[in-house]
Order: sequence, then structure tokens, then C-alpha cells
Amino acid sequence: MPETRNWRQEIARALGEDVGKRSDVIDEIAQHVDARYRSLLARGVREEEAYRDALLELNEPRALASEIRSIAPSLPPRIEPAESASWRFLDVLRQDIRYGLRTLRQSPGFTFLACLALALGVGANAAIFTVVNAVMLRPLPFADPDSLIRVWESNPSGGWPTFSASHPNFLDWRATSTSFDGLAAMTNASLSASGPSGADIVRANAVTADFLPVLGASPVMGRNFRADEDRPGGNTRVAILTYAFWQRRFGGAGDVLGQSLILNGNPYTVVGILPPSFAWGTPTLELLVPLAPNPERSRGDHRLLVFGRLKPGVTIDQAHADLSTIAARLAKQFPDSNEGWTVRLRTFYDWLIPDETRRSLMIMSGAVALVLLIACLNVANLLLARGASRQRELSIRSALGAERWRIVRQLLVEAMLLSVIASAFGLAIGYGLVQILTWAAPDGLPRLDEVTMDGRVLAFTMGSAVVTGVLFGLLPALQVSRPNVSETLKLGTAGAGGSGSRQRIRSALVIGEVAISVALLIGAGLLIRSLWRLQQVNPGFRHENVVTARIHLPSTRYQGGAQAWSFYERLLDRLVALPGVQSVATSSGVPLSAGNTSSEIHIPGAPVREGGTALGADWRLVSPGYFRTMGIPLRGRDFNEHDTTESEPVTIISEEAARRYFPGADPISRMIHVRSFANKPSRIVGIAGDVRGASLDSDPGPMVYGSSKMYSGWNPMHVAIRGALAPDAYVASIREAVHSIDKEVPFFDIRSADDLVAESLGPRRFNMYLLTCFALVALLLASVGLFGVMAYLVSQRTRDIGIRLALGASRTDVLRMIVGQGLVLAALGAVVGVAAGYAMTDLMRGLLFSVTPTDPATFIAVPLVLIVVALIACYVPARRAMKVDPLVALRTE
Amino acid sequence: MHARILDRELKKGSAELLILSLVEFRPRHGYEMSQIIEQRSDGAVRFKVASLYPLLYRLEKRGWIIGRWVEKAGQRRRRYYRITPEGRRVLAEQRLGWDRFVAAIKRIVEVGNA
Repeated sequence: MPETRNWRQEIARALGEDVGKRSDVIDEIAQHVDARYRSLLARGVREEEAYRDALLELNEPRALASEIRSIAPSLPPRIEPAESASWRFLDVLRQDIRYGLRTLRQSPGFTFLACLALALGVGANAAIFTVVNAVMLRPLPFADPDSLIRVWESNPSGGWPTFSASHPNFLDWRATSTSFDGLAAMTNASLSASGPSGADIVRANAVTADFLPVLGASPVMGRNFRADEDRPGGNTRVAILTYAFWQRRFGGAGDVLGQSLILNGNPYTVVGILPPSFAWGTPTLELLVPLAPNPERSRGDHRLLVFGRLKPGVTIDQAHADLSTIAARLAKQFPDSNEGWTVRLRTFYDWLIPDETRRSLMIMSGAVALVLLIACLNVANLLLARGASRQRELSIRSALGAERWRIVRQLLVEAMLLSVIASAFGLAIGYGLVQILTWAAPDGLPRLDEVTMDGRVLAFTMGSAVVTGVLFGLLPALQVSRPNVSETLKLGTAGAGGSGSRQRIRSALVIGEVAISVALLIGAGLLIRSLWRLQQVNPGFRHENVVTARIHLPSTRYQGGAQAWSFYERLLDRLVALPGVQSVATSSGVPLSAGNTSSEIHIPGAPVREGGTALGADWRLVSPGYFRTMGIPLRGRDFNEHDTTESEPVTIISEEAARRYFPGADPISRMIHVRSFANKPSRIVGIAGDVRGASLDSDPGPMVYGSSKMYSGWNPMHVAIRGALAPDAYVASIREAVHSIDKEVPFFDIRSADDLVAESLGPRRFNMYLLTCFALVALLLASVGLFGVMAYLVSQRTRDIGIRLALGASRTDVLRMIVGQGLVLAALGAVVGVAAGYAMTDLMRGLLFSVTPTDPATFIAVPLVLIVVALIACYVPARRAMKVDPLVALRTE
Repeated sequence: MHARILDRELKKGSAELLILSLVEFRPRHGYEMSQIIEQRSDGAVRFKVASLYPLLYRLEKRGWIIGRWVEKAGQRRRRYYRITPEGRRVLAEQRLGWDRFVAAIKRIVEVGNA
């Protein structure tokens, strides 16, 4: 009933006839008065009074009328239709964005801190995701990569789960298997090419003719090898160049096809050029030559890398069954060489990106996501702190009828703005981090050259921007927009009333941050301990002051072992005469480098083993003085100049071989039969200390050494020099020594033994650095969060502190109180973090070396570190609390 | 009496700035504006009908704000005013001018009474 007051009439009457005709103006004023009327009624005022008060809004009606008269003629009487819903939505969104930007500009300190924390988190995530995307998610750079299968020979009981294939075995597989659309093989071939600066080594792969078709690649110029070029006795002196090599060596000349290249002293004709996108092997690959697989070669000489493309519809298991049957048949046909040998198959993906790599990438992704989470919690905390001061403004809006949802939306838009801006910076940071990561990454990381940011990374970053915005924005938005309106309107200040629960929420957030950073620190600590333990491992040789290099004798100039040995003999003589050189030697392989050579062995007179499976060992060919040069302990005697092809063949075996094959007995002067050593029995004359062959974290297997003088002709050979000078000092002298004997002999891969050890630690060290970085950033963010909460706490409780001081508490009591509260938060976080760390132990297991995932040292050290950091974070707020002047504190509201 | 005149003069000088800033980020109707002004100033400044609507119409005439009738669900139609690009420009200018003015007064008033 009171709602039907006719304002229009009243107002029209008050303003006069002519103005009364302007119905739009009258309407508007009428609504104003009506709104006032209703709000008075809502407040409980009596109807009569409300009516009278409302009309008082129309103060000075004569002045109003005259103003309207003067303006009104030029006012178009517009009555617009209501706006459409979507237009309103966009419009409102635009306003929210404008308002949000202004709010952010108004508090530059907060905006900067929040952006920084978020940008770091988003950037790190983008960087790691770029690597994960390139290594694990993108399809391999071959046509239809899912059907590409890597094939190994396998002899598990001999200790060789995967091994290269021999020529005849490969040819038999290819001829009789029905599962593959093509089976190709390749092997490394270092060829020497004559160049302007003397002989140079050319990195080549010897491949079968179907190598390129099976991969799905074809030359961009010229042609692939033909079948008649890929067989023994055919025209095998042809080459296909990689694009980079063509540019480098021939300047990209268009007439390169048909030109000649001298390799190993023979002319090779260039028949094709590979496209720049050809993605096989390492970027250092320079050309392909035909493999010409030879059925006459020894079946026991395993040196081929084999892979194939499955026929459509054939699964890897079917192919495995197929090849195993063939292998079993060959084992029956050729028991001497093939007994105990079967096959192993893996998809290209499983081969190129091993489990270990995937696991560490996943762990890093998880860790970096946790860092972003901490950044979000930090920003949420900051927003909550700021929310208190905006309480009043928001309450007014609430009173005017804005639904809570509208306010929440406004705050969310602000959070999104912050998140989007921070993510833009984060992307730039991420780009920089990717450059650093690819520069610092260990060589073993597969597909490293493919690591680039692409559209998927961009989408991921934008997605994480949205998620983080919601994550840190929602809670504060809901909290701050809580309808406690009338309370805050009555209180003059920023909401001290709502701070109880807000304080609890902030504390909970900080506990969360601390917990996460503790968990990350534990992970990092475990990796640090692992690396430390690995560095303590005795590699089995002394690696200071040793330089190694590889030498490749062109087969055209050095035919036969005697010529090769004479070269090395002269080289060693020259090298040992260099200043500071204590000892020199040659070897077919140095410790901790790739390229394993293995052989079956027999112990004459030993009982035949069960199942007829053979014993095996790694082998090396070394010159006299090798053990002294490498600092490997030796019992018995070394090879010497009396061990020639005319004398009795002699062998040196390793301690592990002695333990395994002559348990409890002294092997010296016993006989051993090493197949690869000309397949003749030889006498054991020395026992050498165990050396870590492939890597520091794998146990040394049995090793046998033959004299490189007796079995000369192995190519390439390593040369090792132990000298008093630094390795760099010897490089030039070695080159000179080699070239003074023969200019056409290339030598390469010069490394110090220290480098070999460092490289083998490379992957672990990299993982450790990465995780430690994340953990430290997390700790920093968490301590900043703790600092913020403590500072806020102190400012809120100033009055409280003042009372205590006034009542006789000492300042140190106050200090202790504040620090105590901070430590409680930190301790709670630490407990949760340690529990989380304990729960993650399974995840870490694969990455550790000789450290249990529940390593007590780490689990104790990390909380201690945290307590110290927490104390530092609480220090400043605590001091401020100490300095509170009770009189001032008691006076302020 | 002095206070009333001073009030009126101050109000005159800042009235346009007030209205423009109120509609900077969202459209508002007349009553809403008067409420906000009253509450945010803790009652120190009051705009009643006679001072508010002529001002709004003047600003609209100058093209600094645009008025539009809007009918929301469940409510009677109201006239909402929104700022125009020209209005934004004027607002920025006036803000600057106001800040400078206030700063100058402060400087005069605070530096000793020499």
C-alpha cells in the first residue's frame, strides 16, 4: 500500500507546468525520491515521516526547475531499449578489467611482488614443460614412429641382455622374418678424409640400402644406395652426405653429385644429399656409406645396430615371437656361436627415451609444479592481507545491492589479470631458462636438439595462467566478499572483526608452503647425498694428469697388424720423450667411455656349466705400460716386449674375472680361452684391479686384457699419456708427434681422464642442480610467506603486546612469544613436509645411488635448515614487536 | 554561515570530478551516486536532487557521460549514466588539477606560519 505513492504528481506539481511535461526528467527524479522513501521505510521509519523526508530530497524546487528549464531544450528525450544480455556481459567484463588494472596500479609493491613470484613459478614450469614436450610428448621425428622397432641380440644368462647383431645373423633375420616391411642395419664407421689441414676424421655410418626407406627418409638430392652397392664385392664406394656436411665441405655446390671424396685413401662418389631435417644419430654425423653385410663374417662378431618397420597389423609381440623362433633355429644350426642367443625388441620410443630419463623428467615436472603452487599460496596470502583494507569499499557495494557473486567475479577478474600479466613475463623467463637448460644439460638427454618452445608450450602456459589465477584468487575472493556487511560498515577501520578466521586461513596457507618446500628440500637433499656418494666411488684407476686421444689408422695404408704396431711403437717412443711425460700406452678402450667390446670365454678344464651357456667378459687390447699409465693396480706381471706373436699367448684378467671364474684359486699361470683373442688359449700372467667400465654407478664386470702387440690391427685405438703437465699442454705435442710419423693419420677425441669421470657424473649432477634450485626457490618463497604472516600478526596484535608490556612483561618475553608462534607454524609445516617426503620415497628410488630413500641424515638435516630459516624470517617482525611502545599501542584503536 | 558557503564553493569546484569518477568503471543511476557520495564522505558531502540532476544533465549535454534507461529483471526501469571517452579524458585532467591544487594548499598551509 505505501508503494503506490504517486511521486510523479507531487514532483510535477513542485516543479511547475512546463517542466512537468518532461516525463523523462520527472520519471528520473521520481525514482530518486522513491528510492529514498523505500530505504527509510526499510530502516524502520514510520510511513508518514518517510514520505515527508523523501520529499525533502526535492530541496529548492524553484532552483531545480529553472536549471532544468535552461538545459532541458537540448536534452533529447531518449527512451532506449534495455541492453542485450551478452552486450552487458562483455561490457561489465571490460569494466571489471579496467577497474582491476587500476587497483593493481594503485598498489605497485603488492603487484610487483605477486607478479615476480608467479612469473618465476610459471616460467620454471614452462621451461620444464618445453623439455618434457620435446623429449616425451612430441612424436619422434620419423615417419610413423610407432611401427619402428629396435632389435638386439640377447644373451641374458651370459650377462648381455642387449647386444649388437652379427652380419650373418642379421642377414638370416632379414631373409626369413615375415613381420617386417624392412629390416635395416648400421654401424659406426670412422673414416679418415684428407683435408687441407692434414687428415681429418669423418663421422660416418655404414648402412644397408633399406636404411633410409625403413626410416621413411629419402635424399633431397640424388638417390639412395642401390642393392648392388650394398653387397660385398659390389660397388660400395659411394656416399650420401648429410646436409650440414654438404654445406661445410662443398659449400652447398649444386653439382656435388658425382663428385669424388677420398675416404680411407679410396675415392668415394657422392650419390645423394640428405635433407636438413634428417634426424638420425647425432648432429655430428657427416655421411652414410654402404654397409654391405657379409654372410662370410663371423657369427660371433657382434657389431650391427638393427631396426625394422613392422608390417601393418603386426604387433611387436608377434614380431618378437617371429624373430625368437628364427634365433632358436640358428642356435641349433650354429651352436658354437649362437647357443644361448635370442632376440630383444623395443619400440623406438622405449629405446630412445629410456625409463630413467622419463622418470627424472616426471619428477622435475612435479617439483616445479609444487614451486608454482607455493607461489600461488603466497599470492593468496598477500591477497587476503590486502582484502582487509578493501572490506569497506566492498561492503558499500554489497549494501547497494551488488550480489556477492558480482563482487567475487570482480575479485577473480583482478586475480586473473595478475595471473595473465605474470604469465606473460613467465613465458619470457621460461624462454631464458630453456636456453640455460639446453646449454647445461648432460649429453645423454635424448632429443636435446629438438627442444624448442612451440604452440603446445604456449597453450600450456596460458592454461596454467588460468588455473593459477583461480587457485590463488578464489579463496581470498570468497573470504573477502563474505556478507558481514553491517559489522564492517559500523566499524571505522579495516576489518579487525573478520581477522580471526582470516588469520587462521593465512596460517594454514603458510603451513602448506613450508610443508611443500620441506618435501622438495628432502628430495634435493637425497640427490645431493647420492651425487656425493657417487663421487666417492673409486673408479679403479687414477684419473689425474692423464690425457687420452683416439687414433684411426687408414686401412689402405696400414694393412696388417705388423704395420699398425710399428706405427704405435714409434708413436709411443716419441710421446714418452715429451717433457713431463711419465708413462704412455695404447688401448682399444679407456674406462668410462662408450664402446664396449665383449667376448665369450672358456676355462679349459673347468666343469661344463648347466644349460651349456657360455661365460663372458669384456675385453681390451692394451700395450705394455697401460696399467702403469692408467694407475690400475696390477698383480703378477704386465705385458712386455717378449710377448710377441711367436711366444706363448698371454692374458691379464681383472679381479672380478678372477673371483668369478677361479673362485678360491690363484689364476696366475692358469689357461684361459678368449674367443676374441684369435680363439686360442692363453696363459694368465697378471691380475689387474677392477675398473668401472661403463659408468661409475654400475659394478665392474669381469675384464680380460690382451696385448695390443699380439693382436694388433684394432681400429681406432686410444692413446693414453700420464704426465706432470696439464692435459691441454699436451694436445699440440701429440698432434705433432702423430703427424711427424704420418701426416695422413687423423687423431681426435682428446680428453683428460678427469673429464671422463666428470662426464659420467653429468646426468646425476644435472638432476641434482635442478632439484636443488627448485627446492631453494621454494624455501625462499615459503620464508617470505612466513615473514608476511608474522609481520601481519604483529601489526594486528600491537594493542595486545602493548598491554602485556604495560603489565610487566619484558621485551624478551614478547620476542619469545612472537618467535614461538612463528616456530610453531614452521614446525607444523615441517612435520607435514617430512611426512610427505616419506610418502614420496618410492618416486625417488630410481634416481638414488647408494642412499636409501629414507636416508636419516637428510630427513634430520632438512628440518634443521628449515628451523634456522624460519628463525631468520621471524626475526624482523619479532624485533618490531619488541619495540612496541605500550603507551602508543594502548592509545590506538 | 561561512561553512555553508565554503562547502558550496568547494562542492562546485569538485562536483564534476566526483560524478565522473563515480562512473569511471561502471554505469550508475542518480540515487546510487548520491548514496555513495554520502557514505564515502561519512556524511560530509550530500548531493540532493536539486544539485545532482542538473549536474548530470549538464555533463550529458557536454558529452562527458551518456544516460540510458535500463530495465533489469524484477525492477522498474532506471536511468543509468556511463562515462564516454571524452569524459575519461576530462576526468584525468581534472584529477591532475585537483591533486596539484590540494598539494599546493598543503604546502602553503603547513610550512610554518611565518
